[in-house]
Amino acid sequence: MDFSLYDFDPAIYDEMFVAEGQPREHCRAVVEALRELPDDDLNTIQERVTRSFSQEGITFTVYGDEEAEERIIPIDCVPRLLALAEWRELEAGLVQRIRTLNLFLADVYGDCRIVKDGVIPADVILGCPQYRLAMRGVGVPNDVWVTICGTDIVRTHEGFMVLEDNLRVPSGVSYMIANRKAVKAGLRLLYRRSRVQDVEQYGSLLRQTLCELSPGGRPDPCVALLTPGTYNSAFYEHMFLAHEIGAELVEGQDLLVNDGFVYMRTTSGLRRVDVIYRRVDDDFLDPLVFREDSLLGVPGLMNAFKRGNVALANAPGTGVADDKSVYAYVPEMVRYYLGEEPLLQNVETRLCRRPEDLEYTLDNLEHLVVKRVGESGGYGMLVGPHSTPEERDAYAKTLRADPADYVSQPTLALSRSPCLIDGHAEPRHVDLRPFVLTGNETRIVPGAFCRVALRRGSLVVNSSQGGGGKDLWVVDL
Amino acid sequence: MLSRSAQGVYWMARYLARAGYLSRLLELQVQFLVDRSVEEIHFGWKRIYRCMKRFPPPGEAFLPEADEFALADAFTLADDLTFERSNPDSVWSAIAGGRENARQMRHCVSGEMWTCLNSAWLRIRDLEAVDIWRTPEVFYAQTRSEIHNFVGVADATMYRGAAWRFMRLGRAIERAQLAVSLLLAQIDLSRRTERRTLGWASMLRTHHALEAYGRVHGIEMKPDRVLDLLVAEPSLPGSVLATVQAAAAELEGLGAGPGVEADAAARRLAGRAEALILYDWPEASAPEELLEQVNQSARDLHDAVLGAFVDYAIEDSPLR
Repeated sequence: MDFSLYDFDPAIYDEMFVAEGQPREHCRAVVEALRELPDDDLNTIQERVTRSFSQEGITFTVYGDEEAEERIIPIDCVPRLLALAEWRELEAGLVQRIRTLNLFLADVYGDCRIVKDGVIPADVILGCPQYRLAMRGVGVPNDVWVTICGTDIVRTHEGFMVLEDNLRVPSGVSYMIANRKAVKAGLRLLYRRSRVQDVEQYGSLLRQTLCELSPGGRPDPCVALLTPGTYNSAFYEHMFLAHEIGAELVEGQDLLVNDGFVYMRTTSGLRRVDVIYRRVDDDFLDPLVFREDSLLGVPGLMNAFKRGNVALANAPGTGVADDKSVYAYVPEMVRYYLGEEPLLQNVETRLCRRPEDLEYTLDNLEHLVVKRVGESGGYGMLVGPHSTPEERDAYAKTLRADPADYVSQPTLALSRSPCLIDGHAEPRHVDLRPFVLTGNETRIVPGAFCRVALRRGSLVVNSSQGGGGKDLWVVDL
Repeated sequence: MLSRSAQGVYWMARYLARAGYLSRLLELQVQFLVDRSVEEIHFGWKRIYRCMKRFPPPGEAFLPEADEFALADAFTLADDLTFERSNPDSVWSAIAGGRENARQMRHCVSGEMWTCLNSAWLRIRDLEAVDIWRTPEVFYAQTRSEIHNFVGVADATMYRGAAWRFMRLGRAIERAQLAVSLLLAQIDLSRRTERRTLGWASMLRTHHALEAYGRVHGIEMKPDRVLDLLVAEPSLPGSVLATVQAAAAELEGLGAGPGVEADAAARRLAGRAEALILYDWPEASAPEELLEQVNQSARDLHDAVLGAFVDYAIEDSPLR
């Protein structure tokens, strides 16, 4: 692989090079090996990786104007590397953060001390559409509200930063495992020599974590994964995870509630379900409690959950803690609940609900990233430096109409990592989404779904917006 | 096993059995186009359409006394049966249906099975009739072979649980229905022609039974012997008896379903179909009537299986 024309930019943190032509310490052996690899070989590996995704049907669904389309996430075969020591630092920050968020959720659906003590204004929480009144006063097994969390992390010269906590139904972990499988098969010797930390135990850890939520500690609990169905964009992942954890993949129509217990319809009769790993949004979980027009949910499910007869992972209502307005308060939450300084920093965030923040945002639109509080997947977002004056004018109009629905952040120079583009190495912006599991304890596999903005210069890594993926190697070198 | 998963695996098997069977029929039919008489070609198309219970698309007349089967040329007919997306039984639609069911139930089949089927799908997905028409028999043979591979891979890699049995049950019921439908079409059409042996050799070839026939009966082609072999020979995997017995065996292996009445009906129907062939067939004066009864039993068996294991009343179900 030819790095001689690699466009190193000292202003942007590069994951592989510390200076032009000079690899970071933990990347040295890999860069040397990649340099020796003929372009043809690397292209062949890249083709093989892509082909394996196609043959195995590792897809996500994109909805266009007319029909749904099964797409493959483009995977770049050049891994992104992280030193084990860096990973440990990140891991400690993630553990601290998930402890905090679980305490926050128990608090906001309980005594609301954090509001009473004036750390977060009540209207930020009560005004959040993800705040579920139905969860007030409800206890959850082991006080674990968030069993599975996918935290979006970016890096700049300042270090790691949390871009977003995904606490509802985070997706992407199947691509972490699929990327690993495909890239490992392509770069066999290099993988072995690099002493890469394993991620393929994720399924068994997830199973163990879910079983720990079993109501009343019922041994050998029946675990089911609740999917919205085959038309959901992440259906592949639902199927993959059901297989990995040995769970039945159920839809709402397969479940029913009888006398406060949840059952699934099997070929030998109704079988009690103890733990549901739900990949259905709160709104659609139970038409008797949330949206009554939901066809995806199970009538009576919330009743069974509140009676402690079934565990839901994640618990309903967790979305209040990953709301983009609430996000701005997480560092304060860490100090409030744990009495510690946050190990992971937030991206500086302005809440447009505040008049001074709105004014600043409107005055600096061309430099900022503005996001809608309730959107995800890169939708409803303005990337100031990449926008036209007309786009900014139109965006400002909608922003003024409902300022509370927006937050703004500085446009970060996300770190870059080399990718194989048209046969040679080019830098592309990346982030990473590690997955944090919490049952009786917190478990994190040393890896992540690393997302790549494959379009030159783009900062948007979302797969629905032209992003791709990469394998992340945590190396002990 | 989740009832909906069982249903998905069952339908996957039915669709793939249909795609394989139709590919075999078309493989032989397009071979006929090279060296057989117009009458024989015409007979072949007619038999396929009867078997699939479909009317051919309209087209230009090329025979003086044309009926609807002669109104379209071979390309149009092959296209209609192979790639027509609106034809739910075309090879393309059947593979798409099988693959879609497998996609939804991937956690119930082995990874090797999925890869095998998905590769076949990726090959056929964007094809059109014009892409295969230079050597259509190669395409049909490959498609059939891919489905045989899938069955072999399943045999080698799939866990012998309930999913395995539902898959085999679906395959057996589909093959029984197709074999009976084709035999009924053959019996009826051959009665309407002066050449009474017309089509019987290709019936043997369709069911990979030519060698077996030669071994048992020699080289002389006698329609009643062919019929007897294809209906009642237990050692021939594609015979009606073998498929009915396979369905009964899988049902037995599954144990009782929660839909009590439907379960009893399913077992009764499988037993009746088997008994009809074992005990009534040798004496049957009107074979097509008996085959119609077998056909009806196979159709009812499908409903009874779903009633026993999938669509059963919740009130009757035991709680576990």
